[in-house]
Amino acid sequence: MKIVKPLLGFAAFGLGLLIILYGLSFLFVPKNNTKDAGMEEVIANGIQGEPPNSIDVVVVGDSESYTSISPLLIWKDTGYTSYVCGSSKQYLSYSKTLLERAFETQSPKLVILETLCIYRNIPAKTIVMDEVSRYLPILRYHDRWKNISQRDLAVSEESTYTTPYKGNRRSTKVNGADTSSYMTQTTNAATIPMVNRILVEQIQQLCEANGAKLLLLSTPSTVNWNYQRHNGIQALAEDLGIEYIDLNTMPQEVPIDWSTDTYDRGDHLNYSGCVKVTNFLSRYLEGTKMFSDRRGDSQYDSWNTLLQEYEAEVSK
Amino acid sequence: MASYFSPQYLMLLLPATAGLYAITPQRVRRVVLLLASYVFFWAVSGSLIVYLLFSTLSIHHLGLWLELTGLTGKQKLAQAEPEQRKSIRASIQQKQRSIILLGVVIHIGLLLTLKYSQFFLGNGNTLLRILHMPAILPVPHFVLPIGISFYTLQAVSYLLDVYRGKIQADRNLFRLALFLGFFPQMMEGPICRYEQTAQRLWDAPKMQWHNFYLGGQRILWGIIKKMVVADRLNIFILNVFSGYDQYDGSVIALAAICYTVQLYMDFSGTIDVALGSAQLFGVAMPENFQRPFFSRTISEFWQRWHITLGTWFKDYIFYPVSMSKPMKKLTSKARKRFGHRYGPILTSSVALLCVWLCNGLWHGSAWNYIFFGLYHFALIFSGNLIQPLVLTVTERLHIDRNHVAYRVMQALRTCVLVCIGELFFRAEGLRNGLKMAWRMVTNWSFTPIVSGNFFAYGMDAADFILVVAFLVFLLFVGLAQERGARLGERIVAKPWPVRIAVYYAAICFLVIFGAYGIGYIPVDPIYAGF
Amino acid sequence: MDRLLELLEEIRPDLDFETCQDLIDGHHLNSLDIISIVAEVEDAFDVTIPTVEVIPHNFNSAQNLWDLIVRLQEEG
Repeated sequence: MKIVKPLLGFAAFGLGLLIILYGLSFLFVPKNNTKDAGMEEVIANGIQGEPPNSIDVVVVGDSESYTSISPLLIWKDTGYTSYVCGSSKQYLSYSKTLLERAFETQSPKLVILETLCIYRNIPAKTIVMDEVSRYLPILRYHDRWKNISQRDLAVSEESTYTTPYKGNRRSTKVNGADTSSYMTQTTNAATIPMVNRILVEQIQQLCEANGAKLLLLSTPSTVNWNYQRHNGIQALAEDLGIEYIDLNTMPQEVPIDWSTDTYDRGDHLNYSGCVKVTNFLSRYLEGTKMFSDRRGDSQYDSWNTLLQEYEAEVSK
Repeated sequence: MASYFSPQYLMLLLPATAGLYAITPQRVRRVVLLLASYVFFWAVSGSLIVYLLFSTLSIHHLGLWLELTGLTGKQKLAQAEPEQRKSIRASIQQKQRSIILLGVVIHIGLLLTLKYSQFFLGNGNTLLRILHMPAILPVPHFVLPIGISFYTLQAVSYLLDVYRGKIQADRNLFRLALFLGFFPQMMEGPICRYEQTAQRLWDAPKMQWHNFYLGGQRILWGIIKKMVVADRLNIFILNVFSGYDQYDGSVIALAAICYTVQLYMDFSGTIDVALGSAQLFGVAMPENFQRPFFSRTISEFWQRWHITLGTWFKDYIFYPVSMSKPMKKLTSKARKRFGHRYGPILTSSVALLCVWLCNGLWHGSAWNYIFFGLYHFALIFSGNLIQPLVLTVTERLHIDRNHVAYRVMQALRTCVLVCIGELFFRAEGLRNGLKMAWRMVTNWSFTPIVSGNFFAYGMDAADFILVVAFLVFLLFVGLAQERGARLGERIVAKPWPVRIAVYYAAICFLVIFGAYGIGYIPVDPIYAGF
Repeated sequence: MDRLLELLEEIRPDLDFETCQDLIDGHHLNSLDIISIVAEVEDAFDVTIPTVEVIPHNFNSAQNLWDLIVRLQEEG
């Protein structure tokens, strides 16, 4: 009996605290997905500004994803719509959050997870923060005390922002890579942190629940990728029954020239590398026969305009 | 588990330990504390826990050996003829000193090897190069176990206290293990003495609500200090100190002030969490800070800042050195020659120099730490020298040395001197520290401050306002504490609705104004690196 | 005792050693004074004050210091 009373006390205290923080969260959550409104990673979250159910393929991942994949080029090749929810040094826990947010307004048939973030160790603090802040957004947006305005008293939220390049970020610089030890064959497998494995499973379930297929994709990188990592993901993919494509093992299909196709010595691809990966991806998507060409659909006219702007930018 | 501020500590280890402690009988409680301590050590430093176990075993053994030597010696003395006593006494002392020496060599030697071999061998290589010889000394790289700089000092003080007869050697290995390894002190101290905590820990008193509240709110207070202020200053300090040549002298000065604030908030905040954690279990560890920035002199500052390290140096280095036989002789001679005032100053300066060299080196093996130690030595030494002059001058000018204005002036002067010292302390190497100081003098202008450009260097206006507001709040808290107010007790004494409201407000303050999450880099407690 | 007081006042004329009970705890004496006091006391009373006895308690008041001297003299 002596234990029950204090436990009840703690529970009541904790509950009261949760209620207060929950209430405060309404004040702190951004009322729009723009930077000014306090949204984080606006490019990755720009998908919220897309018309509902207009995106066929959602990509999540770190910088590898947004340098290697260009949705507008996929549109040009196939007429499928896609969006890269990529942010630099993305943690898998945040990938999950981004996907959850995307599923709120979109119903993509395919989700591509760039595999590098599966190896990124997530600090305990970040996991706790990412998990808890989906219920108590104040934990994520507390820093907005600096510019909270009257508008934040309103309960309604809107999303008006989207990026012109659908999440892609482009570099035209060239800084070649040393490939002497790139993808040396081995049977060793890199270890995937336990928590990350669980998160991949959760992402898989999330996709299933929303009727999307999950694809694991390793984009080419001499700095970040090697055969151990390939083997680790291969084993994980077989375990969970997820399709896995490693472009690092497919020099015929994706002929990356490491002296010209990277802007930071093999860490990330530049635009010419991005074109090669995206070409492959377009053909792959066509091969799945899951999508239909929307190029004739007037609702998607804006994609053609954006593509023109993009190409004008590229030819500069 | 990187620190006391990690969720693993605050949400798992500490509550689990406290919970178990609360529901188990006394005999189990002490085991809970010891196990929790080793779990903590293991979680931070893994298998390096063998160092701690080795230290524990060795001081347990050496302590008993010391005592046994003394006891058998006494028996011999009792039986001996009066004329033999002197030589017997000398031989006992000789033996005891050898044991002490062995213990000190083992512990300090281990610390030196792990912490300083890089520094000494590196400098040795530099020397060889200067002498045009090949730099051949291999420079090893050791991983330091958590808290070794702190628990080593505890271990050595235990042995010396046994030797001096201040305490009895502990027969109980587990009590000693708990004293040495108690988890709240593991990271950044406070450096406890055996008589301060060992028995209390072993008693494992029943958990009391009063202690629970006191401890809990102190932990919260520590987290607020660290996360709201110290971590917020981090990026600005990082930017200025790593790229000082791009910044104006005034910005460098501001960064030095900010770093002093960061260090205080970080260190005293961590100590608050440590002392609060111990308080949960009814253990009062010694205070490590007493409002240092209210100090009137540098010497007083060091009696209020990192107190347990200062008293350690005082008890085990300063007094033993200044009261050793040759030094005593020197004191008497100097007193006859230079008078009451200057005589002891000169001799004590030798002991003082030892203390400050050790203090500098203790912080780390780099020249800027040694410079930091010598800087404070010079300040204290010259302060002692000119004190009589100050007394006469103020007397002549009819200045009231107890007037508020005079005391405020003194405190501000102390703060300025401390900030200059911390500039060197934080600088990336002594050379950079000197360059920064030089730039501060030669490149001074108020432009970046007046124009507000410095808001772009890592902290915006809102950040600065928050920090200043918190410091003002802290000033009032400090003033109240100087007058003897025990604010923690006062909160606990309030009726529960008020208390709960205070706690809720503090937690909300932390959640909103803490420097965590997007845009901030998590910072490990600074002193854990020393 | 009188001799001790005389000696103490010579070192720090500004302090009232007869009544002050917190010479150390009240930060009235600094470490320099203590070194002087120890040296003087050892000279004057022919005792050796071991380092272990240099603790706040023994120096907080003239009386405590006197007690220490007496004790050391008895121990020889």
